[in-house]
Amino acid sequence: MFACAALALGGCVSLPQSEALRASPPAGLAPRVELTAVPFHVQEDFLCGPAALAMVFNAAGAAGDVASLTPQVYLPGRKGSLQAEMLGATRRNGLVAWRVAPRLDSLLAEIAAGNPAVVLLNLGPRLFPVWHYAVVVGYDLEAGEVILRSGRRERVAYSLGFFEFLWQDAGHWAMLALAPGRVPATAGEADFAAAVAALERVGRLQEARAAYRALLERWPDSLTGLIGLGNTEYALGDPAAAERAFRRAVAAHPGVAPAHNNLAHALAALGRMEEAEAAARRAVALGGPMLAEAEKTLQAILARRAAAPAVRGTTP
Amino acid sequence: MKLPLVRFISRILVVCMILSPLHAGAGLIGTDQVLAAGEATAARERIATILERAEVVRQLQAWGLAPDAAKARANALTDSEVVELAGKLDALPAGADSTGVVLLILAVVLVWWLFFSK
Repeated sequence: MFACAALALGGCVSLPQSEALRASPPAGLAPRVELTAVPFHVQEDFLCGPAALAMVFNAAGAAGDVASLTPQVYLPGRKGSLQAEMLGATRRNGLVAWRVAPRLDSLLAEIAAGNPAVVLLNLGPRLFPVWHYAVVVGYDLEAGEVILRSGRRERVAYSLGFFEFLWQDAGHWAMLALAPGRVPATAGEADFAAAVAALERVGRLQEARAAYRALLERWPDSLTGLIGLGNTEYALGDPAAAERAFRRAVAAHPGVAPAHNNLAHALAALGRMEEAEAAARRAVALGGPMLAEAEKTLQAILARRAAAPAVRGTTP
Repeated sequence: MKLPLVRFISRILVVCMILSPLHAGAGLIGTDQVLAAGEATAARERIATILERAEVVRQLQAWGLAPDAAKARANALTDSEVVELAGKLDALPAGADSTGVVLLILAVVLVWWLFFSK
């Protein structure tokens, strides 16, 4: 039935991505992959968002089922789940939420790397869209198929063209929920760093720290990675580890004031006020949009140093 | 007699003072601020985003969430996601469908195609 529909629709719709993929599959892409270990959560009416999240969360080693995730993404008035909230709920559960580039070859590369993806499909006509989340768990280039867990079906195979047809109205939207420590196969430094910073922002510090470490393994000089690692170490109460990260940051990016500012804080927390003052002075000298912060840091360090000798006088 | 005790306490105080974070006004610069840095308008944009985040909370409540849940869910979004959502929450796709509707609509599409394509 779906094959018929795909054939029928193929006649009047342009499906450039699947045609290109069939004509010349990317070199190095495995011809056939199926992530059979991804568990299945059956979808009740309107709850495809929570069901899809539960599947990729479990695959990433995080707990979750439709009942526990519904209050985190389902929007009663809309009888559905918004894309932004799918990403937000992923972060609240301590996983890195990452948008895959809107390309079929990128999506398949992630599947081949072992990362099941949540996709948004339009199952209706363009004028009356019926939005639906499903999980892509495999593909077969020779058979020209994409394999999904969708709705009430644990395994359904669509032709590449039919899948692209369903996927295109959503702007080819796909997301991953990654265990901290995993880096997407198709990630770029900036977009992955932003995804990890978003995890840090919601307060999942330990997971963010693990993700920053993984980011730095692939991109050792990443400014966001080094600042983020230092900030999470500091917030988790390890100023010595924070100092090491900020030292790497100032070595790789000597002209970036926030790296010096944050190094000053780590040193001050370690009681090394002279070095802290020097770092804060460098931050102030560099100026830039964070100058006010750097000046506050320097003032606080100077105040501390002014107070400390008086107290030190009482110790032998 | 009391001197060793006084010394002991003052040493502890010194250690506490030295090893405590710097005073409240000064702080580490956040990772997301470093990400956004370089844009001259960063500060103005941040204020706009705070207002838009409040707007998203209000809209989520309007669509049926309790105030606490709306706040927690809006806080899980990045600034750019907030900008995407604010004011458009009723128009954006909300993935929802169940399989029954799919089959019905596929049937309609097929019939439509068979009917009009000849």
